[in-house]
Amino acid sequence: MLREALLVARKDLRVEWRSKVTLGHVAPLALLILVVFAFAFDANARLLELGAGGLYWVAVLFGGTLLIQRAFDVETEDGNFDAFRMSAIGAPSLFLGKSLGIFLQVVLLEMVLVPGIALLYNVRIENWVLLLSAAVGGTLAFSVCGVLWGAMAAGLRVRATLLPLLLVPVLAPVLLAGSRAFETALGVRAEAGWTWTSLMFVIAAVHTAIGLGTFGFLLEEG
Amino acid sequence: MSEVTTVVAGWGLSFIVVVTYALWIVGRGKTVGRELGIGGQEELDSGSDSSTPADV
Amino acid sequence: MTQVLGNKHMTATPATRVLGVVALVAVLLMALLGLVVSPADVVQGQAVRMLYLHVPSIWIAYGAFVVTSLSSALFLVRSSRRPDGGRHYDRLAGSAAEVGVVFTGITLATGMLWGRVTWGTYWQWDARLTTTVLLFVTYLGYLALRRLPADPRTRGRRAAVMALISFVNVPIVHFSVDWWRTLHQKASLSVGRRPEITGEMYWTLLYSTLAVTIVAIWLIVHRYRVIRLEEMRDEEALEALIASRLKEDDVQA
Repeated sequence: MLREALLVARKDLRVEWRSKVTLGHVAPLALLILVVFAFAFDANARLLELGAGGLYWVAVLFGGTLLIQRAFDVETEDGNFDAFRMSAIGAPSLFLGKSLGIFLQVVLLEMVLVPGIALLYNVRIENWVLLLSAAVGGTLAFSVCGVLWGAMAAGLRVRATLLPLLLVPVLAPVLLAGSRAFETALGVRAEAGWTWTSLMFVIAAVHTAIGLGTFGFLLEEG
Repeated sequence: MSEVTTVVAGWGLSFIVVVTYALWIVGRGKTVGRELGIGGQEELDSGSDSSTPADV
Repeated sequence: MTQVLGNKHMTATPATRVLGVVALVAVLLMALLGLVVSPADVVQGQAVRMLYLHVPSIWIAYGAFVVTSLSSALFLVRSSRRPDGGRHYDRLAGSAAEVGVVFTGITLATGMLWGRVTWGTYWQWDARLTTTVLLFVTYLGYLALRRLPADPRTRGRRAAVMALISFVNVPIVHFSVDWWRTLHQKASLSVGRRPEITGEMYWTLLYSTLAVTIVAIWLIVHRYRVIRLEEMRDEEALEALIASRLKEDDVQA
């Protein structure tokens, strides 16, 4: 199963590599969003510093959702979904593979965003280990949830508008946890960063389990 | 807003929402039923509502 | 629910007529108790009367969403055994969810009005309100998903999966937000704990819960029937379309 999953992930990443959408489109967009937040907060340095942890994850949410949309558009436009269903690749492998693909793309995005907030919002990273762990946990949770819900909205003409509506309430705890964990890592607050991080890993685990169990059901339709 | 006004607003709003919803359900039932050709020239009977606004 | 639908009123049966009358009476009594008979609170004053709607509404909403989840699970089980099996579970899931959303909305509205009087603001970012808003939007999304065109089995399965995942997610959301915030008034009634409101207020609250439950059941039953009627109509339309196509083929042949 893992080998099949890696095949799926490699395919997605190859598509990404050729099109360079993540680095070329989404990462700049995410940076832009950080800039726009500064407009929203009237360049109030203190507010931006306090809010950096949360604003980071909002940018990840925005960019990440676009990447998830794309991951499934790629499948359904050419009728690939049918090809997948008819191939021997099992639903769980497809789920894991797509999640891995998204995970890596969002990590790429975040490698731009971390310097982004450090520079634009003038924050200092006090605890690198916490920051990276939180980033990994949050991204993992984001990826599996995103793929699961992306599949639910896939193939629908209104998917572009429906997916965010479905995804955001589900990701609310992740956003909450990620923001708080980052704030602790950035030295903005002094509490519970590791607990929030663990919560994100738990959420990722729960949704991975659910995804493995239900992806088959979701793929069965047209 | 005074306390009494708020209570009236809250109860009133809740009743209006529920009654409207109930009426909509029943009305829709009739419409679809007519499309299906199931009987009924009868008018809406108020007994099929679940609640009416309280006289506050 | 499986009775042949009557002629006169499309979604009515003798049983639900009785239920409707009972609901009506129960609600009028609830209004009497809640607005007139029960006393004002020492601290909150008249505003406490809002809680007789606010608290039962969210309980009924939770109950409705539980019904949706159970129904969805049963639907998935049934539909995997028989291709057209279990559609009544799908209909129940949908109707319960819609009623749940309506009552969640009422919870939010009454909660905000209550907050305006007691806290001074319409909104607080406390655990209860925040999770309720998320719950509201989640099931709005569910209803949106149900509305999308697809054959009933596909749509039903997709919706059922979503319902189950959403349900699993509720405690996660609740825990996260709760841990994040602890402002909201502690639960007045919970299993095993002595209620903070006592006497007439306590009984009024319990009775109101009963009255709202009856109303909710009436609404769910009728909504269910409407969904069933709509499915029948869609199937008839499809059959008519197929029949006319076949006739065309005959004519041309």
